[in-house]
Amino acid sequence: MKTHPMKLVTIVCEALARERVTALLAEEGARGYTLFSVEGLGAKGYRVADIAEFANIQIEVVVPELVAQRVLQRLSRDLLPHFATIVYEADVRVLRQQKF
Amino acid sequence: MGLFDAIQANLTSPPILFFVLGLIAAAVKTDLRFPEPLYITLTIYLLVAIGFKGGVAVASAGLGVVWLPALAAVALGAAIPFWSYPILRFVGKLPAVDAAAIGAHYGSVSAVTFIAAVSYLNELKQPYEAYASAFLAVMESPAIVVGVVLGKLATRREASSLRSVLGLALHEGLLGRSVFLLVGSLLVGFLCGQRGLDATAGFFVTPFQGILSLFLLEMGMVAARRFGDLRKVGLFLVGFGILMPLAHGVIGIMLGQWAGLSLGGAMLLGVLASSASYIAAPAAMRLSLPEANPTLYLTSALTITFPFNITFGLPLYYEVARWWFGGSR
Repeated sequence: MKTHPMKLVTIVCEALARERVTALLAEEGARGYTLFSVEGLGAKGYRVADIAEFANIQIEVVVPELVAQRVLQRLSRDLLPHFATIVYEADVRVLRQQKF
Repeated sequence: MGLFDAIQANLTSPPILFFVLGLIAAAVKTDLRFPEPLYITLTIYLLVAIGFKGGVAVASAGLGVVWLPALAAVALGAAIPFWSYPILRFVGKLPAVDAAAIGAHYGSVSAVTFIAAVSYLNELKQPYEAYASAFLAVMESPAIVVGVVLGKLATRREASSLRSVLGLALHEGLLGRSVFLLVGSLLVGFLCGQRGLDATAGFFVTPFQGILSLFLLEMGMVAARRFGDLRKVGLFLVGFGILMPLAHGVIGIMLGQWAGLSLGGAMLLGVLASSASYIAAPAAMRLSLPEANPTLYLTSALTITFPFNITFGLPLYYEVARWWFGGSR
């Protein structure tokens, strides 16, 4: 079956930054995202997921390469200085190109 | 009843014993964990129940009685950051933005501390103004707004950014889930009055103590999981987190008496003044003053002041209130 190249951008950040990240994604042209609560260990210590406000979330978004570049730039400018965040991108292949 | 008996009465009540059990559970690293949705469910229950009962009490007392102590509560909450700031800044040598953020936490309130105080008074059969929940609702936001303004002024931001940030802080402070639930349930209680309370007492009144116990078991674990952060905040903040609540408690009790509250009501105002917010204020500060260090304000409010207040603080404030009301009679 034919698949098409896309970028998967993953953002793990403080739950409190949720609105900022999702707004930024929409502004840069992402047409959706997947979000879940996570916990783990990082530079700011172990983040327990006991109180929703202080937990971490992971946001995954599949976008065309160009959008991915803009999203990464905006994230490093607006989010990384203020919130405990890690961001990474990966190459993925999707079934229906027009959805992204 | 002396101070020792007052402390003993508190430390042997089910909610506080379960809190201690929670501390132990986290300290010995059992695999006990509350699922997050349960934590949220329990908070919703407690806020709705306390707000609803408070609303019914406001309706039966009449707004004419409630407004003066409520106004005093707002004023006290808004004023606390103004003296906390210089103490943190110049005695504690903390950065300006951290001093502003921590001040906001101590001016704002902890609903659970208030609820534990209500349950303590119930157990002692000490009468109090049940409409005091209204003070809880109105004291959460003012200090948050004051703290954000102080922090922004201290970091010399231009006016436009102050405005947008204030909008954020106001939204968080006034429409955050705790204030919304409290004010909403106060209104519901106010509108349906005693008849409504009779109809729902089986759910909102009878199981209250048990649900508070369950919630405090979780809070014990939440606090104890963060005890490691105490090493990061320094001795000054540990002292601040115990001494400032004591001072605020005394001020709250005196102000409560001035505003016409009974011994129990004044003690509750003292508890509100002494308590520090650990949900609404951290969330608002994280968004409005992201430069402030969250470890400092969250650790002092959640792992120093909160455990101190619900174990030793409550009986202390009660004894101070008894002494103050006895002495000035």
